Amino acid sequence: MIQHMELAGGKVTRNGDMAGNVRVYVNPDESERRYLTEALKLDEHTLVSALDPDELARLEFEPEHVAIIFKRPKNYSSEDKFVFKVASAGLFLFPDKLVIILSEDVPLFQGKHFARVASLPDLVLRMVYSSIFHFVEHLKVINAISDSLEEQINTSMQNKYLLNLFSLEKSLVYYLNGINSNGKLIERLKLGAAKIGFTAENLEFIDDLIIENSQCYEQAEIYSNILASMMDARVSIVSNNLNWLIKTLTIITIAIMLPTLVVSIFSMNVEFPGRTHPWMFWVILGLAVLSVASVRLVWRWKGW
Amino acid sequence: MPRRSAARRVVVTHPPGLHARPSLAIVKTVRQFRSKVRIRSGDQEADAGKILEVMSLGAPYGAELTLSAEGPDAESVLDALAQLFADNFGLSSL
Repeated sequence: MIQHMELAGGKVTRNGDMAGNVRVYVNPDESERRYLTEALKLDEHTLVSALDPDELARLEFEPEHVAIIFKRPKNYSSEDKFVFKVASAGLFLFPDKLVIILSEDVPLFQGKHFARVASLPDLVLRMVYSSIFHFVEHLKVINAISDSLEEQINTSMQNKYLLNLFSLEKSLVYYLNGINSNGKLIERLKLGAAKIGFTAENLEFIDDLIIENSQCYEQAEIYSNILASMMDARVSIVSNNLNWLIKTLTIITIAIMLPTLVVSIFSMNVEFPGRTHPWMFWVILGLAVLSVASVRLVWRWKGW
Repeated sequence: MPRRSAARRVVVTHPPGLHARPSLAIVKTVRQFRSKVRIRSGDQEADAGKILEVMSLGAPYGAELTLSAEGPDAESVLDALAQLFADNFGLSSL
């Protein structure tokens, strides 16, 4: 699927069916791939890399364009079961156009970062910045989910919340890898600035990107370390909650067994004093209740 | 303060639907108020103050949601949420 857009007057706007200087290909089909590799001379391997979530971010200089593969957070859906994944995206910068290759249809050019775009190279940098911002936003979501799961674990006896935390831990490893990979790409963008055609303002923006990306990496690293280091404690809490339940059930079982013992003794088919006494039924019942009360008293006295 | 209840219908107009970031925006908004808010999407219902529940709704683009609030500032929280939905959770794009 292709979306035509136009960068003009500092803004990117949809261009209907008319070819603009920004073209977005979402999961290109066979004919679109043929056009990209034959007409636009995109390297087939680089094109596949743009759609491969496991590919590392990188920068390649081709005779007619610059190919940039960067990492971005994949949009989370409720079927992902708390696994936040990373996807790749490809930017192919020509002197007169920018071709964007994505594996899924996601909203591009979100937020204020795209309010004033000076040029196509500037748009490239803003897309990388948008990806860093997206990572930061997802880290906040992961932190909020982690807090929420912790609250649930405090009273839980099930493994599902622990498994969700493991999923979050795994997500953070993916994110760390993706953010680190983007960091290397930004450094290479800075080194190749003259070849790409970045202006002095663009270079200043790249410096900002390096700082933003490194802060994002540190944040992900801190969250990952906290999750990993607290995991054992959380496993113990769930185990302890289960132990409390078993202990309470055991005490209840004992409390029921004692009146059963009292009643059983008096149910034996032998003679015992006062068997025919009119109050004997109430005496036996009283002894049974007394035995339950004694368990309760011992329970309180021992602080079980 | 008297307890009040109110309800409002909203539509998800953000193209990717109610994914991670919109869910966090909803939870953060609800926590600024004292009223309890519930979101109903089809036959699913979630506490709007709990991110785990909001994310599990998985409401797609175009889904019609019913927001119901109960508490002293029920109308205010629903106004804020309706504005959040109208602004596409601050994630407006092309």
